[in-house]
Amino acid sequence: QMGRVGKRQASRAFSLYANIDILRPYFDVEPVQVRARLLESMIPVKMINFPQKIAGELYGPLMLVFTLVAILLHGMKTSDTIIREGTLMGTAIGTCFGYWLGVSSFIYFLAYLCNAQITMVQMLSLLGYGLFGHCITLFVTYNIHFHSLFYIFWLGVGGLSTLRMVAVLVSRTVGHTQRLILCGTLAALHMLFLLYLHFAYHKVVEGILDTLEGPNMPPFQRVARDIPVVSNAVLNTTAKAVALTL
Amino acid sequence: MSNFEQFHFDFYQSNYTIDDQEEGYNSYGSNENLCGNRKSQTGEQPPASGFAPSEMLLSSQSYTGQILQPTYSPNTLSYLSYTDGFDEEPPLLEELGINFEHIWQKTLTVLNPMKPADGSIMNETDLTGPMVFCLALGATLLLVGRKVHFGYVYGLSAIGCLAMHALLNLMSIPGVSHGCVASVLGYCLLPMVILSSSAVVFSLQGILGTLLALLIIGWCSLSASKIFTSALAMEGQQLLIAYPCALLYGLFALLTVF
Repeated sequence: QMGRVGKRQASRAFSLYANIDILRPYFDVEPVQVRARLLESMIPVKMINFPQKIAGELYGPLMLVFTLVAILLHGMKTSDTIIREGTLMGTAIGTCFGYWLGVSSFIYFLAYLCNAQITMVQMLSLLGYGLFGHCITLFVTYNIHFHSLFYIFWLGVGGLSTLRMVAVLVSRTVGHTQRLILCGTLAALHMLFLLYLHFAYHKVVEGILDTLEGPNMPPFQRVARDIPVVSNAVLNTTAKAVALTL
Repeated sequence: MSNFEQFHFDFYQSNYTIDDQEEGYNSYGSNENLCGNRKSQTGEQPPASGFAPSEMLLSSQSYTGQILQPTYSPNTLSYLSYTDGFDEEPPLLEELGINFEHIWQKTLTVLNPMKPADGSIMNETDLTGPMVFCLALGATLLLVGRKVHFGYVYGLSAIGCLAMHALLNLMSIPGVSHGCVASVLGYCLLPMVILSSSAVVFSLQGILGTLLALLIIGWCSLSASKIFTSALAMEGQQLLIAYPCALLYGLFALLTVF
């Protein structure tokens, strides 16, 4: 009886490892390649009449998703976000992996409908590298709490990575309507995800800065709790200077 | 280093098998040798260990044939039963698989990330050191005044071990076992214990705390990636291994700081 159970477990484990071996070629990378691809993911290509090459590797995207999880956790911890149904770690992992896998599958399905030349691994890779912009934006804006700064980063950095993904997809699709559907969906989802991550996972207390009083006070002034005293003082004086000049 | 090699050899040689008498004699001889070695190292000397083997052999030979009639003299009876139980079994630490010399070597390797690591030290999976370090981390977290976080430490280490094991199996040509990964990750948790014990002295929430945490994370991940790359022969990919380790230790640091 025990032998049978053991054998069944062993065969299940073996089949799991046999499946893992399928993924092995996608993890064969050098550090130089990863760095090059990370930098390339922020540069939109100009040549959209020729199908652009997409590297089908999964190491970089996987690491970027984990980095996003870590940044989310850090942001949630620094702002004392309370998650009622579930844990912080589970929420962060679920959100990031859900986005990566879910949106990749959805765009792959749309690409299949629109006759775009892209495989699932390539789509996973493309979207994974597109999260590099999200990581940078969130890392900066979770630590420096300025809404205008966030919007600049959202449009600039998020926009650049979205443009890169869109350009690659456009180069692999024929037909105007198809291009519009595919790229519009991807751009909307990607930008909205960044917006969602900023506002939902770094709860800021609606409050009024202590140093801003009088008629120059803007209607909304959000501050984050528990930021260190030094940067608080710096931010206060900077915000006061900005508000006084308005 | 030669002492280390010789000790390594001796450590594995003695396998005491009860069912085979002849092999029992041979291994008993080498076991006694090992006991003599260890005891001479630690400074203890059992009384007259020289004549105990020969007497043991004599009485064992005569004992097997005649169970009901004791052929040994009464004055050696008590000593014989004492050495019987004591000398037939391997030392407790060896039975448990705890080898202090190896543990100390691995700890030194972790504490000095610039020293090139020996790939063969990871051939045995040793979970004693990692267990001690996890408990030390939990204890220092308790000292700092956080809520009891033992569960988080164990959960994070378990999930981290599984993830690193999958990644290393995908990236390296020879595979790696769960025990080896758990052992290496556990040993490289030692600098994190240093971080959490420094949290007892001063608060880690400021700039200094952040810088110290980043330094410790870098230290941990450098050591872990150094050991992994030397054990799995993955030169050139040390940075690729160091980054997931840094993420994992970053989560531990998050637990410590906040």
